[in-house]
Amino acid sequence: MMKQEEPGHNEEIISLANALRWDLGMDFHDKVIESTYADATDIAGKVVTRGDDRQADTVDSRVDRILTSRWLGFPIMFLLLAVVFWITVAGANVPSRMLASLFLDTGHPFLKSVSAAAGLPAWLDGVLLDGMYLSIAWVISVMLPPMAIFFPLFTLLEDLGYLPRVAFNMDRLFRKAGAHGKQALTLSMGFGCNAAGVIAARVIDSPRERLIAIITNNFSLCNGRWPTQILIATLFIGSAVPAHWAGFVSAGAVVFIAVLGIFFSLVVSWGLSRTVLRGEASAFSLELPPYRPPRILQTLYTSLIDRTIFVLWRAIIFAAPAGIIIWVVSNVHAGDLSLASHFIRSADPLALLFGLNGVILLAYIIAIPANEIVIPTILMLTVMSVGLAGQGEGAGVMFETDTAEGTRDILAAGGWTLLTAVNLMLFSLLHNPCSTTIYTIYRETGSWKWTLVSTFLPILMGFAVCFFVTQIWLLFTG
Amino acid sequence: MSNKEACEVCPVHHRDNLVRLGVSMDKVDFVVALAGNPNTGKSTVFNNLTGLRQHTGNWPGKTVTRAEGGFSYNDSRYKLVDLPGTYSLLSTSTDEEIARNFILFGRPDVTVIVADATRLERNLNLALQILEITDRAVLCLNLMDEARRRNIEIDIRQLSRELGIPVVPAAARRREGMAELTAMIEEVATGKYACKPHRSRNRPPRLQQAIDTLAARLSGQFPGLPNLNWVALRLLEGDQRIMDAVRSRELDSLLTSQPATESQS
Amino acid sequence: MHIETGNRHQLLIEGILMSDPVNHGLALLAGLLTIAVLALLFWPRGGLLGLWSRWRTANRRVLLEDALKFVYDCEYKKIAFGLDSLSGHLQIPADKAARLLDRLQSMGLIRGDGDSFRLTSTGRSYALRVVRVHRIWERYLADETGVRPDEWHDAADQMEHELSAEAADRLAGRIGNPVFDPHGDPIPSPEGKMPAPKGQSLSTLAPGESARIIHLEDEPQSIFAQLTALGLFPGMGVYVTESGDGKVSFVANGEEHVLTSLFASAITVHPTKKTIAGQEKYEVLSALQQGEQAEIRGISPNCPGQQRRRFMDLGIVPGTIVTADMKSPGGDPVAYRVMGAHIAIRKSQADCIFVRRLEKA
Repeated sequence: MMKQEEPGHNEEIISLANALRWDLGMDFHDKVIESTYADATDIAGKVVTRGDDRQADTVDSRVDRILTSRWLGFPIMFLLLAVVFWITVAGANVPSRMLASLFLDTGHPFLKSVSAAAGLPAWLDGVLLDGMYLSIAWVISVMLPPMAIFFPLFTLLEDLGYLPRVAFNMDRLFRKAGAHGKQALTLSMGFGCNAAGVIAARVIDSPRERLIAIITNNFSLCNGRWPTQILIATLFIGSAVPAHWAGFVSAGAVVFIAVLGIFFSLVVSWGLSRTVLRGEASAFSLELPPYRPPRILQTLYTSLIDRTIFVLWRAIIFAAPAGIIIWVVSNVHAGDLSLASHFIRSADPLALLFGLNGVILLAYIIAIPANEIVIPTILMLTVMSVGLAGQGEGAGVMFETDTAEGTRDILAAGGWTLLTAVNLMLFSLLHNPCSTTIYTIYRETGSWKWTLVSTFLPILMGFAVCFFVTQIWLLFTG
Repeated sequence: MSNKEACEVCPVHHRDNLVRLGVSMDKVDFVVALAGNPNTGKSTVFNNLTGLRQHTGNWPGKTVTRAEGGFSYNDSRYKLVDLPGTYSLLSTSTDEEIARNFILFGRPDVTVIVADATRLERNLNLALQILEITDRAVLCLNLMDEARRRNIEIDIRQLSRELGIPVVPAAARRREGMAELTAMIEEVATGKYACKPHRSRNRPPRLQQAIDTLAARLSGQFPGLPNLNWVALRLLEGDQRIMDAVRSRELDSLLTSQPATESQS
Repeated sequence: MHIETGNRHQLLIEGILMSDPVNHGLALLAGLLTIAVLALLFWPRGGLLGLWSRWRTANRRVLLEDALKFVYDCEYKKIAFGLDSLSGHLQIPADKAARLLDRLQSMGLIRGDGDSFRLTSTGRSYALRVVRVHRIWERYLADETGVRPDEWHDAADQMEHELSAEAADRLAGRIGNPVFDPHGDPIPSPEGKMPAPKGQSLSTLAPGESARIIHLEDEPQSIFAQLTALGLFPGMGVYVTESGDGKVSFVANGEEHVLTSLFASAITVHPTKKTIAGQEKYEVLSALQQGEQAEIRGISPNCPGQQRRRFMDLGIVPGTIVTADMKSPGGDPVAYRVMGAHIAIRKSQADCIFVRRLEKA
């Protein structure tokens, strides 16, 4: 760099600027912008000739009048979002199963046989194949298909120009919660993946509202948690009512949890904006761009690269070490029990206060990296700690059963009741974000403080909610 | 008019600053910045110019997405950097800070301003601000198809005369005007087209006086600085980054004796 | 499928679940109590932790800095300063004020000058530093947060003792190194420079004169709150219709106001020759019905900072034509057509944009 030869002169320039600013008064910036716009108006006046443009305008505004109308605005919006979710859930089912059978049923035994042939020591084989490989395989097969469907669909709606209309329609609700209308978009994006939802909060240009959107994004039930909700609802809630109601009630229970998430998201936004982040909406601006035909291929390409692959890669990076830890805690013994069993035994009494059990707590601790592996981990730990004969694949090997009944039998053997199931569903909604999301929050906010708040606020809420549900439930069922 | 005897095809970009701004400068002859309002089809223009030769990341230390790509034209290699879409460059938001400091400190060889032909007035606000920082710019008047549909006519030559920079009508979605845009980028980058950018006319006298006073003082310290008025304006806005650059004499590194910045008379 | 059950684990769970039901009532109580205690401790501002940290700062230094600031203020405005005014301003008994003055003297911050006191150069730069932090914080609150105008001053009064000069400089750098606080007071430069006071009191204007408000006195709070409640802000144009008899009548923002001279003297104005926007009565943007057109006349000074800049960047500058185009299902926000684009604006913000309604085209 250059030497600071004459700092005096430079400092003088700064003070001159300061003196000039005092002289110019408070509306300096206004005047600059106004004069630039005056130039722009002059030039535009000279070069632009406007013909009759009523015809072209009416198409857009007619569409807008319908999409933002008092009676049709919300139904159309919910319908569209419902269709997007339905396509995601339905469409992801088959490829998910194919990936699972490829990675888990074919890939895993094959790799095991290769390692056996190569004479790998048992611990290395366990750490790499049962731990790391399985957790990555699980994350990819559960996470990739829905994201590869959800994100492009979402981006299409964005390119089309519809998403700003959603923000426009929803702003009133979010304003009352002290948030920005665009939080409706990050919230919806969170249903796909919370990490992506946190990144999407960049569209909110007011720092306060952006922070609120980031902290509350975890209350959107993400793709990784839907399967848990659906499975538990089917197994325990559906079976608690007459058979012909089962499907309806269990679907209703899952939707209820998702709506509860939105409710918590709004309530927490409201609370944050009135306490820690006090101050009303500090800036709001929302342009409603004209509708434009989306470029399908472009959209597919960018949403796959920018969102899906990006998020998946982060998830894999975090899932790999988790797999190792899961295998290690189940296989390293202290005394005659594995570390996992020690933890489960000592955590059980505490966990039962919250209507959960030690297995669930441990599963959520070691499965921080990805919600996708919670159920396989719970099954593995349950089989291990209860000591079920003939079940599962061995200590530290995550698995899922082929039939729902098989899963329920295992869980029932682990002491699960309807209450445990309800609490697991609540806890799955209200717990810390997965580590990918935590890391993303840190990257986006650049602040440990807000990262910690976003991490611990939901889990504290989860414990509180589960505690009260459990105690009230037991008070009445005694 | 333009200064003929000096090196005419020399790039003017500031390599070190660009590297500091996170641009990988391997095998690059010219650096092109892409600026524009949101919703003007800027990313379509970007994709058309670069094809799949692009990657996205973040601006260093910022949570603002950045796309970067490349293309070749007449044996020269161009690096295209997509700046955040903004309405203005004068506010305190991170996006605008990134855009204006990239143009000032990175000194791209050409800044392509993508404007929406159906909302020219609004888009000119940004274009005029950019022309305060750099005199090497091309206006890409995008969405001409939509303008035609709405019976909006634009006198391209008059607009180009008013702004003092080349104006290329385009419809990026249909790939119209992309070849002309690339050709124009080359002309400006190599100095074949000498821009004579518009200077503000509607500033209140008191304001212009303050800018002139400060610019005069600045030119004493930084003779040859191409964008004195902009630096003066930013000092009057209290821009910390510019104040630091004045204090540390970082602005010295932006002084240039190259013809492209002196050619306007 | 048969599964072995009835192991130790299962028994343990059943044991706890089947225990005395009274426990659950007690547990509920304990849970509620825990939440209450946590809330009491950590509740922002009202919580014990907040109270404790506030109590910690309310020490001697605060009193000393407040006194210095007051001496400085009197000097700047050329008001007589004495023991009485100090004890009145700080709301402390006279003997305590006298001890405070002694301490300031012994620290070399002020020196006696007959009946009165003057700041030494050390004292002045100390005072200016406090003033600088105070005003930067007010500017920050106005520009970057949604804190209400009547809360700025008190919040800054606290912050001026907590924020270091360096931290204040960094904050200033982030928000564009402001040179005026939101009341129109100049902010001292980091080197302690201040411009000479400008303008004159509103009460000195003669009927028929026009002026622009450049400053509203923010102390005492009650007067400032009243003035802002009337919708008066720095930057606003005024036109005096009547003056004298301890009263001033003037038009601002198209409305007639009558203030006693006490209140009028809290308003500093800068006389202008031409009529300034704001004296004719304008409507606000939010008053437009769907489909109606209007010309922008300005943005209320009540809308500072980011929001103001954002509006201007979007083309909301005097002279622009806007049309109210679409209502959201809830009626708020409304999308306005501005220079060919649809911009959604919330009602509370549209209240800050002055317009002149145009006849329907």
